[in-house]
Amino acid sequence: MSPAGCSHVNGFKVDNWKQNLRVIYQCFVWSGSAETRKRKAKSCVCHMCGAHLNRLHSCLHCVFFGCFSKKHIHDHAKNKRHNLAIDLLYGGIYCFVCQDYIYDKDMEQIAKEEQRKAWKLQGIGEKYSMWEPTKRELELLRHNPKRRKITANCTIGLRALSGVLLGSPLSSHSLPVAAPRLDSRRHLAGYEQQDAHEFLIAALDVLHRHCKDDNGKKANNPNHCNCIIDQIFTGGLQSDVTCQVCHGVSTTIDPFWDISLDLPGSSTPFWPLSPGSDGSVVNGDSHPTGATTLTDCLRRFTRPEHLGSSAKIKCSGCHSYQESTKQLTMKRLPIVACFHLKRFEHSAKLRRKITTYVSFPLELDMTPFMASSKESRMNGQYQQPVDSLNNDNKYSLFAVVNHQGTLESGHYTTFIRQHKDQWFKCDDAIITKASIKDVLDSEGYLLFYHKQFLEYE
Amino acid sequence: MNVLLYYNTYLINMSKESQMRAAINQKLIEMGERERLKELLRAKLIECGWRDQLKALCKDVIKEKGIENVTVEDLVAGVTPKGRALVPDSVKKELLQRIRAFLAQHST
Repeated sequence: MSPAGCSHVNGFKVDNWKQNLRVIYQCFVWSGSAETRKRKAKSCVCHMCGAHLNRLHSCLHCVFFGCFSKKHIHDHAKNKRHNLAIDLLYGGIYCFVCQDYIYDKDMEQIAKEEQRKAWKLQGIGEKYSMWEPTKRELELLRHNPKRRKITANCTIGLRALSGVLLGSPLSSHSLPVAAPRLDSRRHLAGYEQQDAHEFLIAALDVLHRHCKDDNGKKANNPNHCNCIIDQIFTGGLQSDVTCQVCHGVSTTIDPFWDISLDLPGSSTPFWPLSPGSDGSVVNGDSHPTGATTLTDCLRRFTRPEHLGSSAKIKCSGCHSYQESTKQLTMKRLPIVACFHLKRFEHSAKLRRKITTYVSFPLELDMTPFMASSKESRMNGQYQQPVDSLNNDNKYSLFAVVNHQGTLESGHYTTFIRQHKDQWFKCDDAIITKASIKDVLDSEGYLLFYHKQFLEYE
Repeated sequence: MNVLLYYNTYLINMSKESQMRAAINQKLIEMGERERLKELLRAKLIECGWRDQLKALCKDVIKEKGIENVTVEDLVAGVTPKGRALVPDSVKKELLQRIRAFLAQHST
C-alpha cells in the first residue's frame, strides 16, 4: 500500500486529463447542480446488472459503470485492460494492477476541490481542514510588518516547540500560523543561540499579551486573565514561609508557566531529601540503578527549606526577624504542565551542561506535591489514601524536548505523542516514528504533561 | 409447474422492489437529498461513537494483516458485517423517517 500513488496512473495522465477527471467528478461523484444531479440519477447504474448499489464504480478510460461488489467492474478492467476506476460514492481511485485504492496527489487535489464545489452548491457546510494560507494570504502576511508567517528557517527549537504547542508533529512544509512577531533582541537573552526554555517562556508571554490586547478591558488581573494561554498553561505555585518561633505561616501564590527543577550534580546540593515527604508510593517509582527520577526532583522542589540565619524573614506574628522555613507546593495545576530540567549551569563558579540521566514516567500523579496534600500531612494524616476517584491530578506525558551538545552549541529535537501511544521524533524537518523506549531513555530537557481528565468549569 | 409459477412471482416482486428502489434513489439524487442524508448519517454515526468503534475494528484488521500489506478490500471484508450490526436502531429509525418525509413531500 503506497500512500504516494502508483505508476499506473501515468497512462491516464495525458492530454487534457485534469479537465476530464473534473468532469467525471462533477457528473458522477459529487454532482452539485440540478442538471448534473439529474444526469447522475439516470445514468449511474451498473451496465451489467442495472443495480445502483453494490459500490458502483466508473471506468476512467471509457464510459462504463460496474458494480464493485459483484466484480462487474473487475471483468471490464480485465477485458478492456482499463486499469483505473473511480468509486462513485466516495471518489476514491482504484488501480486494478495494484489491486487497491491509490492516492495520487494531483488527483486528490482535484477530488477535494470538486467536492467542496458541489457541497457549496448544495448548501452543505465545509468539512474541517487545517488552514493552509493561499498565495494571496501569503502576500498579505508578507506585507504586514506586525505579522509574520513562521517558516522552516526560523530559530532553533521553534519547530520542535511549535509541535508541542500545536500538539501534533509537523510536516516538512511551513507552519500555518500567523503569530505576533518575536523579536529576538527584545524577548530572548543575548546568547548567540537561543535556549528552548527561554523561547517557550517568550512565546507564551507574547501570546499571552496578544490575547490580553484582544480582550481589552476584560483583563483586570494581570496574573490571571481568562485567555487561552492562562487556561491551558498557567498554574499557581504556593509558597509557605513558616516562622520557626511562633509557627505562623505566610502564604503567597504566584502564577507559573513551568516548573524549573534542579538536578543532582549541580552546584546546589540535591541530597539529602527531607523526611516525611513521600511521592514514591503514589507514582510507583523504582530505582533499579539509583537513577534520579522526575518525582525525586519534584520532591526536592517541594521540600521544606531552612532559610538559615543569614536570611531571616520579618514575621508578622513575632514582629521581629526570625529564622524560617520555606516550602513550595502546587496550589493550582495547569492543563499542560511543563517541567524544565535545569541542565545548564550558569553559576559564578562554572558554566556547563549537566547530562545526568533523569528518568521520567509516562503517567504522573501530582497529588503528593499539591498544597492540599501537604495540609493533610500537617494535620497528621501521613498515609495518603490512594484516592482513585480524584483523577484531577493525573497527568500524561505528551512531548519531550531534548538537547544534544554543549553549552556553547547544540541541537534540539522533540518527541511528540499522537493519540494514546504513537510517538514521533521531530528533528527539524525530519519526522520519524519513535518507540516509547526511545522517548523514556532520552535525556529530557523540557517535559510536557497534560491532564488526563478535564473537568468542565 | 406450481414451483415455477411461485418462483416467477417471486422474481416479479423482487424486480418490482428493486425498481422502486431505483426510482427512489433517482429522486433522492436529483433533489440533492441523498447528499444531505449522507451528511446527516455521518454526523449521527460520529455522535453515537460508531465511527470510533469502527476505527478500532479497522486497527485490528491492520494489525492482523500488517500495515504494509493491508488493502481496502481487507478492511471492507473484515469490518462490514460487524459495522452494519453496530449501527444503533435510533439512527436507522431517524434516517428512515427522513426518507419517508421526503417521499411524502415529493410524491408524483
